[in-house]
Amino acid sequence: MMKSLRLSRYWVFQFGGWGLFALINVFFTWLFQRFEPNSLQRILFFIEVGIVFSHFMREVIHRSSLLLKDLRQQILTLILLTIVFSFFITCVVSPFEQLYELRTNAEGQPVSYLSLFITNFISFIPLLLMWNAIYFMYHFIIKTHKLEVDTVKLEALVRELELNTIKAHINPHFIFNSLNGIRALIDENPERARTAVTQLSSILRSSLSTEKAETVSLEQELKIVKDYLALESMRFEDRLKIAFDVDERTLNNPVPPMMLQTLVENAIKHGVSKQMRGGIIKIVSDIKQNQHELVVQNTGHLNGYQKSSGFGIASTKDRLNLLYGEKASFEIKQLDNGLVEAKVLMPLR
Amino acid sequence: MRAIIIDDERLARAELRKLLQDFPEVEVVDEASNAEEGVQKIESHNPDLIFLDIQMPGRTGFEMLQELDHAPTVVFTTAYDDYALKAFEVNALDYLLKPIEPKRLADAVEKIKKLQNGKAAQPASTGYSPCGLLGEHDQVFVKDGERCWFVKLSEVRLFESVGNYAKVFFGTNKPLILKSLNALEERLDPKIFFRANRKHIVNLHLIDKVESYFNGGLLLELKGGEKIEVSRRQTVKFKEMMSL
Repeated sequence: MMKSLRLSRYWVFQFGGWGLFALINVFFTWLFQRFEPNSLQRILFFIEVGIVFSHFMREVIHRSSLLLKDLRQQILTLILLTIVFSFFITCVVSPFEQLYELRTNAEGQPVSYLSLFITNFISFIPLLLMWNAIYFMYHFIIKTHKLEVDTVKLEALVRELELNTIKAHINPHFIFNSLNGIRALIDENPERARTAVTQLSSILRSSLSTEKAETVSLEQELKIVKDYLALESMRFEDRLKIAFDVDERTLNNPVPPMMLQTLVENAIKHGVSKQMRGGIIKIVSDIKQNQHELVVQNTGHLNGYQKSSGFGIASTKDRLNLLYGEKASFEIKQLDNGLVEAKVLMPLR
Repeated sequence: MRAIIIDDERLARAELRKLLQDFPEVEVVDEASNAEEGVQKIESHNPDLIFLDIQMPGRTGFEMLQELDHAPTVVFTTAYDDYALKAFEVNALDYLLKPIEPKRLADAVEKIKKLQNGKAAQPASTGYSPCGLLGEHDQVFVKDGERCWFVKLSEVRLFESVGNYAKVFFGTNKPLILKSLNALEERLDPKIFFRANRKHIVNLHLIDKVESYFNGGLLLELKGGEKIEVSRRQTVKFKEMMSL
């Protein structure tokens, strides 16, 4: 569709441009009273040749992908093309004119071939130059405009992605639900409410932190996870059962920050919270065959995980890959006992 | 106004109950912690108003509403949900964000009070239905893809059976309701909603024209332009009803 639209615009320009040129010629010829029966013929012949050869020139431009080359090359090549094609046109037009004696000098005598040739050549050069200039300018403007539009779109996309990354970390649903729960607890159990505020504040701080630390100790990560689970158990009450099985030797191991937290959040969001009677979540950290194994098991169904959790899984895989390459792995699968298991294996340092 | 709070978190229900203490005109008669309980309690208490959490385990709030014969006035509650908020905005549904601002709650209660008063003030015309049967002032919840409505039965001109479900014709819409035509017939007030043939129930108040038809039957043209045949057997009943 676009191509045919552009093609017809090209032909409009061609016929329009050359037609205009013809009209100007006719006008000036008439003005200087040099109008003869031949003149119209000559002008028309001129135009036809002009259109044909400029079209050839355009083909050359296209075939050589000239418009994609850099600016200086483009300009130089266009000047070269102008000269070459002017020469070709002159070679075609001149013998024809000579033969039909289409050109006469002021006294009405036929002119010499050489002067005819040179006159034509010199006439065509500026003409074709102008043609090229217009053609070149048109495409240049279109390209620049497209570049602007693409840049704006790209900037918007980058901003959106940045925002999504930040939003994905904050989890507003959890925060507002926790605040609501805390508000209820203020009268019912003021002590618990105060603890909850501290826990929530600590989670918010870690969500907002922009520190580029590549890893944190498992102990630090577990603190965040425990605060998070404390708040969730405030909301779910007996619908959430929590179990930890952490080998003390792994407490100082480095882990990507917020990786375990993301897995635990997903486990609750897509697993336990979707069960009518609630469920369990179990976090295991141990050493298996000289690797650090982190496991999150939760009640749930893997095909119940919506697309949004894909982001968590993808980013986990990416981060592990970035840090450890082939030496780390992540898999998530459905176990037989109605549990979903997410397992991360990392090399021991 | 009698109200029921439906939310899977006990603390959230307790918090809302506490807020509603400031509104003596609203009496919380019961609570439910999931969609199943919700349907049971709504059908047994028949409340005027429910506060419904959108995110619940099992069935969502929307799904629960579609199971009800008729929907009470609903105020949705949610902590944060892009998708649900868009649905609320697009369909002009009332909702409150948790933690609920007392001022917003007050506005919502005011609005509902006005609506209820409006209902009570209407003349006891043929629209006033006997206990248990659904009449013109009752509303039903229907969902069709991204759109959903609380439709007053007085605006429904036709129910058309589609397999085990039925299409509800109102305005320019005809979404599907997850009830069979027979189930509907049992609940609808027969003085207003008439079973014209095996596939159709029409709203007698929204008939434009009545013409005679083949085999001693009738052809009804409804205000939406639909043409419904009345079977011969039903024509007899129709004529009896209309001569009252």
